[in-house]
Amino acid sequence: MATTDRLTRSVAAEPLVSPVTLLRIAIILAVLAIWEFLAHSGLLYRDVVPSLFAIGRALYDLLSHGDYYFNLGVTAAEIGTALLIGGLSGVAVGILLGANRFLSKAFESYLYYLGPTPKIIFFPIMIMWFGVGPGSKIALGTLSCFFPVALSVAAGMRQIDKVLIRVGKSFRASTWQMITKIYLPAMRHPIINGVRLGLGVALIGTLLAETKLSNKGIGFLIINAYSTFDMPRMYAMLIVLFVLAVGANALVGRLGGLEDIKRT
Amino acid sequence: MSPALVGVGALLVALLIVELLIQLNFISRFIVPPPSEIVGSFGRVIVEEHVFSRFLLTLGECLTAGVMLTVFGIAGGVLMHRFRLLQQACETWVAAMAAAPLVLAYPLFMVIFGRNAWTIIMMGFFAALPPVILKTIEGMANTRKVLVNVGRSFNLTPTQQFWKIMFPAALPTIFVGVRLGLIFALINIVGVEFLINYGGLGQLINDLAERYDLAGTYAAICFVILVSVLFFMTLEKAERWLRPID
Amino acid sequence: MPSNASANDAILVADDIVVRFETPEGPITAVDNVSLMVRPGEFLSVIGPSGCGKSTLFNVIGGLLAEHQGVVTVAGETISGPHKSIGMVFQEESTFPWRTVTDNVGFPLELVGMPKAQRIDRARHFIKMVGLDGFENRYPGELSGGMRQRVSLARTLASEPKILLMDEPFAALDEQTRLLLGDKVLQIQQQLKQTTLLITHNITEAVQMSDRILVMTYRPGKVKRIVDINLPRPRTSEIVGSEAFGRYVAQIWSDLREEASRGMQDEEKHALEHHGAAS
Repeated sequence: MATTDRLTRSVAAEPLVSPVTLLRIAIILAVLAIWEFLAHSGLLYRDVVPSLFAIGRALYDLLSHGDYYFNLGVTAAEIGTALLIGGLSGVAVGILLGANRFLSKAFESYLYYLGPTPKIIFFPIMIMWFGVGPGSKIALGTLSCFFPVALSVAAGMRQIDKVLIRVGKSFRASTWQMITKIYLPAMRHPIINGVRLGLGVALIGTLLAETKLSNKGIGFLIINAYSTFDMPRMYAMLIVLFVLAVGANALVGRLGGLEDIKRT
Repeated sequence: MSPALVGVGALLVALLIVELLIQLNFISRFIVPPPSEIVGSFGRVIVEEHVFSRFLLTLGECLTAGVMLTVFGIAGGVLMHRFRLLQQACETWVAAMAAAPLVLAYPLFMVIFGRNAWTIIMMGFFAALPPVILKTIEGMANTRKVLVNVGRSFNLTPTQQFWKIMFPAALPTIFVGVRLGLIFALINIVGVEFLINYGGLGQLINDLAERYDLAGTYAAICFVILVSVLFFMTLEKAERWLRPID
Repeated sequence: MPSNASANDAILVADDIVVRFETPEGPITAVDNVSLMVRPGEFLSVIGPSGCGKSTLFNVIGGLLAEHQGVVTVAGETISGPHKSIGMVFQEESTFPWRTVTDNVGFPLELVGMPKAQRIDRARHFIKMVGLDGFENRYPGELSGGMRQRVSLARTLASEPKILLMDEPFAALDEQTRLLLGDKVLQIQQQLKQTTLLITHNITEAVQMSDRILVMTYRPGKVKRIVDINLPRPRTSEIVGSEAFGRYVAQIWSDLREEASRGMQDEEKHALEHHGAAS
């Protein structure tokens, strides 16, 4: 087994805080300082850049009241359902397209070219079909995440080491056994990556739909803050949302990455 | 039997089945207009809704955002590659930005820029910036060591090294980043047009939907899909044209 | 010329196998009327130059290649797809990188629904047989190439096939590892009285391990000669140095050299035709 040689550089005096961290802190402080200056300068229309204290207060307000969590739950449930339906159908279609050359040539390009279109434009149709409640939001989220998952899985299928398929066939594994014991485990990286992308777009699709037409959910709260011009609250909500989104993305990535420690 | 034909054929058969189901009232025509009606409304929509000028408007927004993100994205990437410390500090932040749903801040942008084209352009710009920066860094970092050494063997100054070796070597990867950026920009621009009900094609869909012009809405969506697909294909062709230099 | 021993006591019979492929340059016959049979407990090697169709033959007997003429029977039953009495070991790396050694070896047992505790037990038995005890919970990525091939072998043995069918399993390994692994395989084969059909291009390997060797011609692959190897059993790799061994190797090499040089000339002609024009 090849072991990577790591070149260790001995540092005469290891600084207490690395230069990278110092730079990061400096940048953050500078941004915050400029922000606070703009907030108090009166250069911009009032509250477009609210003072950091106002944002902080709004953040506290937001997180200490139950109804935020209720809306968070609604949105999370919508995204979760969309990811489940879109993800599972994406995996199924991906396996089908990846396994069958003919079907792939016939249909995969539709998925490929439809993938990078803004799915939010389908929202009016989703409303007609599924009503104004969570159904239309879930439908839009499902539509959004289906494509990246299906395409990732189809590509992943084609990259499976062919000999592993022959091993399965030589042991006369049934189709279901082939899928669960060979195809899916061999594709865990493409699947995780597809799910990551899918999560990202499902999140966006669902939230945007909520901002357009809804009476619950985080998206609704955001557009509500806009229409009441409660800027500190809007900033607070956006901050929490971004933290959660980036966190969820990192979590899924970790789930895929952790396995790497054992393999290869 | 050619697979492409089967693909197109299957699509046509599906549309025919839908048409039949609607005509026989198994599906209400107030929820799904018959495909024949949708196709029939194409002409009306194109003329009455000035699809072409709307398309130009959306295109203009995309080009503006595109120029901005090319300039700032590449510059940002180059800066971060040049100043290693800056890269180490900020690269993960940029990657996080790429994963964050920036487009959800559109109400904020509306407050800052107003309900007009600038909100749309800025939204497209910011959402598309991270991939350009990241790919620029990647392209410059992945320049084959041997090419750098060739430059050093000729005693090139750092500026010459950059313009004659690093940058040209990084161009294919940079272009991938720009392509990704342009795609993200288009997606976000059309999406925001729809959401804030202003602009070109995205706004058209919203407008027609609010007027309950079902066939028109479907037709407009088809247009947008067509535009997006053509845009995507053009970018792919351009990238392939650039690749042989690699 | 096929062996004249009666086919009644054979456990594996391949009768008049013909395999043709369509290539851009026209149809080629990979395997041309090859017949062979293997008796229970016997070790038969099929040897030939590259391009003689032996891997194609491997796929036909293993049931992975349906488009062929001729019939393959196992204990009287005609096969139509991979047969449960035939266990295959492939030339390429074929361990599942996401499963531990135990889970890899237990794979065939999992497919037939053996309960977990029993599975682990059986797997352990075969892991020990190939000499990998201690590595039960490692992943293939942590093992060397030779060890991974042993895992593949143990996995196939765990399905307790009547016939072990191997396609150049040691081709990617260095000579010393190969000889030692050959010892291991011999040991196992003798212990289990395992009927084995080995496809190889390595003469030393074939003579070391086999009771009989079937020499194939270059494409179209036919049976050129069948040689009985009358070296004493039990055998180890020490036998490689003996005089009798040397004589067998020389005999087979003289047959093989003819076919191999035909093969080389053919490849050269092919390369000239297809790439000469480009310059």
